[in-house]
Amino acid sequence: MKRDPDQYMPIATLTRIMRRVLPDHAKVADDAKETIQECVSEFISFITNEANERCHREYRRTVTPNDVVSAMEGLGFGSYVEPLTVFINKHRAQQDCCPPPRQATHQPPPPQMARLPGVDGYVPSPPAVDVANYLEMPQMRDYFVGPYRGSGGGGGGGGGGDQFDHFK
Amino acid sequence: MRQPGAYSNLLSGGKTGPHSLPLARIKKIMKKSGEDVKMISGEAPIVFSKACELFIEELTKRAWAMTLQRKTRTMHKEDVAAAVMETDIFDFLVGLVSHTPNPSAPLES
Repeated sequence: MKRDPDQYMPIATLTRIMRRVLPDHAKVADDAKETIQECVSEFISFITNEANERCHREYRRTVTPNDVVSAMEGLGFGSYVEPLTVFINKHRAQQDCCPPPRQATHQPPPPQMARLPGVDGYVPSPPAVDVANYLEMPQMRDYFVGPYRGSGGGGGGGGGGDQFDHFK
Repeated sequence: MRQPGAYSNLLSGGKTGPHSLPLARIKKIMKKSGEDVKMISGEAPIVFSKACELFIEELTKRAWAMTLQRKTRTMHKEDVAAAVMETDIFDFLVGLVSHTPNPSAPLES
């Protein structure tokens, strides 16, 4: 039976991650790699279903990082919570430092470079986009509904309410 | 300096971004997990990319322990299956790794 590769993580990437925790002399048969590929996809589905149920219970439609992490904690993967929290906070800090480019026409114009007297070279003016509007970025906006749309900026970078408890 | 979006090079070429596991593929699997999984925040696949790394590492370590018990150096599918059977939190994988369910095994109520 032919496997649909789109349903699984790439085997090369999987192997690289496995190698991090295996001794150098270890060999891994193809059937073991394929089994782990299937397990990873099943893991994603399993957690997503739980996260989605949490959303529905709270009358929300968008599965958020907090839903995913809470689902993992509820399903026995509590040991993942701390490393995931650290990871997502680092990711957000990186995004705050270097936000993705604006694409939509109604976004404010890019910051203008100002020439200061007595300074050799240009100094960028403060960025026009603040962190709160990061969630309004086109690539994020497509995936957000409800409290994030049209609010003109809620809490800094993370939305309102209890949805990002893990990452405050 | 231009920064790529989270999905920009993934949607066009299927390559990985700054994360090990491809975010677009993770999102595809998330959407397929249920009929009513409609909206997914942009960061959820990013969280999963890290979570899957942790999962792969844990499953691999446990499977390797099974390989060592067999006194061999090659990990096979059976070692992964044995690791799943031995670990409570991997119960959701039991059906996946058991090709022929044991009819005499007691059903959980």
